[in-house]
Amino acid sequence: MHWNSNRFILLLSSSIGKKLVMAITGLGFCIFLISHLAGNLIIYAGNDAFNSYAERLHTLGPLLILAEIGLLLLGIIHISTGAYLFYQNFRARPVRYKKKRNAGGRTIGSSTMPYTGFLILIFIVFHLVDFHFVEKADRSIYQIVLETFSNPGYTIFYILSMVVVATHIDHGFWSLLQTLGIDNLECMPVFRVISSAFSLFVGIGFGSLPVFITLIT
Amino acid sequence: MKLDSKIPDGPLSEKWDRHRFELGLVNPANKKKFEIIVVGTGLAGASASATLAELGYEVKTFCIQDTPRRAHSIAAQGGINAAKNYQNDGDSIWRLFYDTIKGGDFRSREANVYRLAQVSNGIIDQCVAQGVPFAREFGGQLANRSFGGAQVSRTFYARGQTGQQLLLGAYGALSRQIAAKKIRLFTRRDMLDLVVIDGKARGIIVRNLVSGKLEKHSADALVLATGGYGNSFYLSTNAMASNVSAAFASYKKGALFANPCLTQIHPTCIPVKGTYQSKLTLMSESLRNDGRVWVPKIPEDKRLPAQIPESERDYYLEEKYPGFGNLVPRDVASRNAKHQCDIGKGVGDTQLAVYLDFKDAIKRDGHDAITRKYGNLFEMYEKIMAQDPYETPMMIYPAVHYTMGGLWVDYNLMSTIPGLFVLGEANFSDHGSNRLGASALMQGLADGYFIIPYTIGSYLAEASHDKVDEDHKEFNTSYNEVEARIEKLISIKGKRTVDNFHRELGNILWEYCGMSRNNNGLKKAKKLIKDLRAEYWENVLVGGSEYDFNQSLERAWRVADFLQFGELMVTDALERQESCGGHFNENYQTDENEALRDDKLFCHVSAWEYRGNSRKPKLHKEPLKFENVELTQRSYK
Amino acid sequence: MKQASGEKCINLKLKVWRQKAEESNGRLESFKAENISKDMSFLEMLDVVNEEIILSGKDPIALDHDCREGICGSCGAMVNGRAHGPEKGTTLCQLHMRHFSNGDTVVIEPWRSRAFKVVKDLVVDRSAFDKIIQAGGYISVNTGGAPDGNAIPVPQEVAEKAMDAAECIGCGACAAACPNASAMLFTGAKISQFALLPQGHPEAKKRALAMVGEMDKQGFGNCTNEKECEAECPKGISIINIARMNREFLKSSILS
Repeated sequence: MHWNSNRFILLLSSSIGKKLVMAITGLGFCIFLISHLAGNLIIYAGNDAFNSYAERLHTLGPLLILAEIGLLLLGIIHISTGAYLFYQNFRARPVRYKKKRNAGGRTIGSSTMPYTGFLILIFIVFHLVDFHFVEKADRSIYQIVLETFSNPGYTIFYILSMVVVATHIDHGFWSLLQTLGIDNLECMPVFRVISSAFSLFVGIGFGSLPVFITLIT
Repeated sequence: MKLDSKIPDGPLSEKWDRHRFELGLVNPANKKKFEIIVVGTGLAGASASATLAELGYEVKTFCIQDTPRRAHSIAAQGGINAAKNYQNDGDSIWRLFYDTIKGGDFRSREANVYRLAQVSNGIIDQCVAQGVPFAREFGGQLANRSFGGAQVSRTFYARGQTGQQLLLGAYGALSRQIAAKKIRLFTRRDMLDLVVIDGKARGIIVRNLVSGKLEKHSADALVLATGGYGNSFYLSTNAMASNVSAAFASYKKGALFANPCLTQIHPTCIPVKGTYQSKLTLMSESLRNDGRVWVPKIPEDKRLPAQIPESERDYYLEEKYPGFGNLVPRDVASRNAKHQCDIGKGVGDTQLAVYLDFKDAIKRDGHDAITRKYGNLFEMYEKIMAQDPYETPMMIYPAVHYTMGGLWVDYNLMSTIPGLFVLGEANFSDHGSNRLGASALMQGLADGYFIIPYTIGSYLAEASHDKVDEDHKEFNTSYNEVEARIEKLISIKGKRTVDNFHRELGNILWEYCGMSRNNNGLKKAKKLIKDLRAEYWENVLVGGSEYDFNQSLERAWRVADFLQFGELMVTDALERQESCGGHFNENYQTDENEALRDDKLFCHVSAWEYRGNSRKPKLHKEPLKFENVELTQRSYK
Repeated sequence: MKQASGEKCINLKLKVWRQKAEESNGRLESFKAENISKDMSFLEMLDVVNEEIILSGKDPIALDHDCREGICGSCGAMVNGRAHGPEKGTTLCQLHMRHFSNGDTVVIEPWRSRAFKVVKDLVVDRSAFDKIIQAGGYISVNTGGAPDGNAIPVPQEVAEKAMDAAECIGCGACAAACPNASAMLFTGAKISQFALLPQGHPEAKKRALAMVGEMDKQGFGNCTNEKECEAECPKGISIINIARMNREFLKSSILS
């Protein structure tokens, strides 16, 4: 076994290779979401706990920057590959059907992947502006969260975005198991359930935060 | 013309080995200098194409479908025989040989049938190596089932789709040679004429079914694997495009046509429902392993099957043939079904059906076991009939299925035109007057994988073959004749459609030259067909135009040939004044209504020579010699 | 034979895609299908319509069909937006008119994919599938010299799984129904069959790379795991075969 760069390029230019890229970057986001959610849930533990978590996170320094660059790269690769696949798939049927009905294989998640993906991108931009690039000198992160969610319009936008994220994950997580070839006949129903459970976990986990905050303020 | 079957000397079991040794060989370096045309991509054609290309010949392969994988071998359901004796139940090459020759009612050549049995085992090995997913036992060994006409379990199968799996195996081998550029594939081509130059077959005229243009193709030798003529009957289990035209064109160019009256009516098909019906669907004969055939004891019994108590059911096959029961050969099972319907015991709306009941098998083996064996067949039945065969017995009726007759070939599978080889159902050689179940797949692959590669080499080695130009005058003559005939068909612009004529021809043949025949009926049929043919050329209406994708024109050409061929069938049936296998002349039957052969006068192959449209074809007889088996009255009691 | 009785008959309005040749423009053309027995198959219904068209001196509707028992894979069209019509696990030839109601409008279109060019009307060129098979959809074994069929035992369960994949009839419904016109179910089924059987192992790597490469070259879209192919496959072939193909392909690409 040896590294073969030609073979690697060939792999990435193939249909399955591009799916693999989507799967691996998607998996990266799933792992990120778990850690992100784990951190966010500390809000439930109150002001001090959450602020000290944020502080400890920032002591990581260069490691944190590295992780941020990593996430950015994942994002660029996931989005550009996804966009290219979308274009290719569109081109694969130059003449559309006059009448087309679904046969029962598609789900809301599967049929809206490019669109939910696009909506998530918009959400991320707002999210970064509101929480990441926001002026943090005179307030704790806990306060920022509280203030941001005091705007009911934003809260609704956030919760809706989490529904979109969950929809994306519901198909995405199962889909990556299928793409990586982990799926098999016996496990497929289990994987489907795991995928839905995971998407609910992420959706409710994040989505419940603004609700909690609205309740305590 | 003297028919020389070229059967080698020596003891039966050594003939093929000896013959292979005596056959000439082509130097490996010279093989690529020879071009071979193969027409048809069913089991015989695909396996021949692949094997010949593997040997190094330049092969050009033609098929009518859009891809070679769709040839009608794909529809064979039940299985393929081989004398492996994996079950240790007493099978042997000799027993397979004997069963086949007896099942064929002693109207086939001993030497050919023995060779078929000999190579049968190699076919299974070859197909397994190709990745054909045959059914397996738990231990991983190949599974077998039993089939009509045999008392040993020697049939290999892949669910109810054995033909599909074998064909896809051969198609894979063919595809591999296409990729290796040893085969040039021509799809959507219809062979309309054979070109004979200096007495040898040297090319074909085909119509490109997409553009409508005619094409000329030359070669050093030709292989026809174009299937049978069951569609003469309009309704049959054949595919819609199956036709006799390539074989018939060869017949008109001098190849003798053998035993055209020998057709097989398959006992287990889904009954006819209406006049619009375009084809009949076969249910694998393997169903008779577990299904029990019955009719009500009282004629005109209109009760539902569930309301008829056990005591009022007539399991006529089990009663009449205790030895074989529901597993009697096809011709016997078919005739008995017809007989039950003729005496008013038929069931269903049309009363042209008998029951095939799985109640006892389901009780004995369980629903799951039956599903594993026949699931896809049950589904198919339910789709067509909207009845669930797990709950209520199937209704079945015989239908035209296979044709034992075909172009006459010698032991080398070469027709009477040098250089024209004929394989599979298109030839006449191995099944006598009745084919046993699971033997067609065996024969197609035997011919293609294991016989033609040797014999065609000998032909190419022995004769000198100057290259012929596709502008040779014989090519041009053929081309012009074909073009003129197409123009004629298009220009008639009559009042009746092609299908309308075809349906009428089918009715005539089914009525008078079907499961049972008599001399008066045959004479009447001959006249009816002649008149119908005359009307066809005055009154047919072909849709569409000549240089176009035109399915109406494709059919018009084929039906024109069927109309002429139908007459040959009837002529042959009239000539054969005996009953044997699929040819049951009511004037010749035993006291128990079984086919009564006349071995003194008719122990021969009838081979017909074309002598122009208006003259009666000339009969040549190839006597059949039986040195190893005793001619007996078939008995399946 | 009695003609089907009155109450068993229905009348339909058809809208059929008509296109003279590959480079021509096509359009939907309306036809009436009257007195159609519910026992007819969809193709027999089209036979009746075509007979009328021929009698009126026009060009009949072109449609590939051959065995009419659901195994050759020739027939196929979009019927009211569904590949092979509304019934599950059915080819067009096995679709019966009892699944339609009197007065229905039925839209019939050819398979649509960049890799399937329209030849005429409902007939499409599916030679792209042949090309995929030619790239490696076989086991390279010459005739003769094969070992005894029982020399390599194949566990029943493995043989059954291989058979599940091998049932593909190459009709093209998977690619036609796929929102992305992807041929991964077709390709995956063949790769799976040989990946499962021991006979296929020696060439497994080469096969996966070559067949997927050819599939991409033919212009099919990419799988997004929508399962429409499985839902429309007349033989019910599972998308698990796509997962197996992915596994085979990744194994071949990375572990080489």
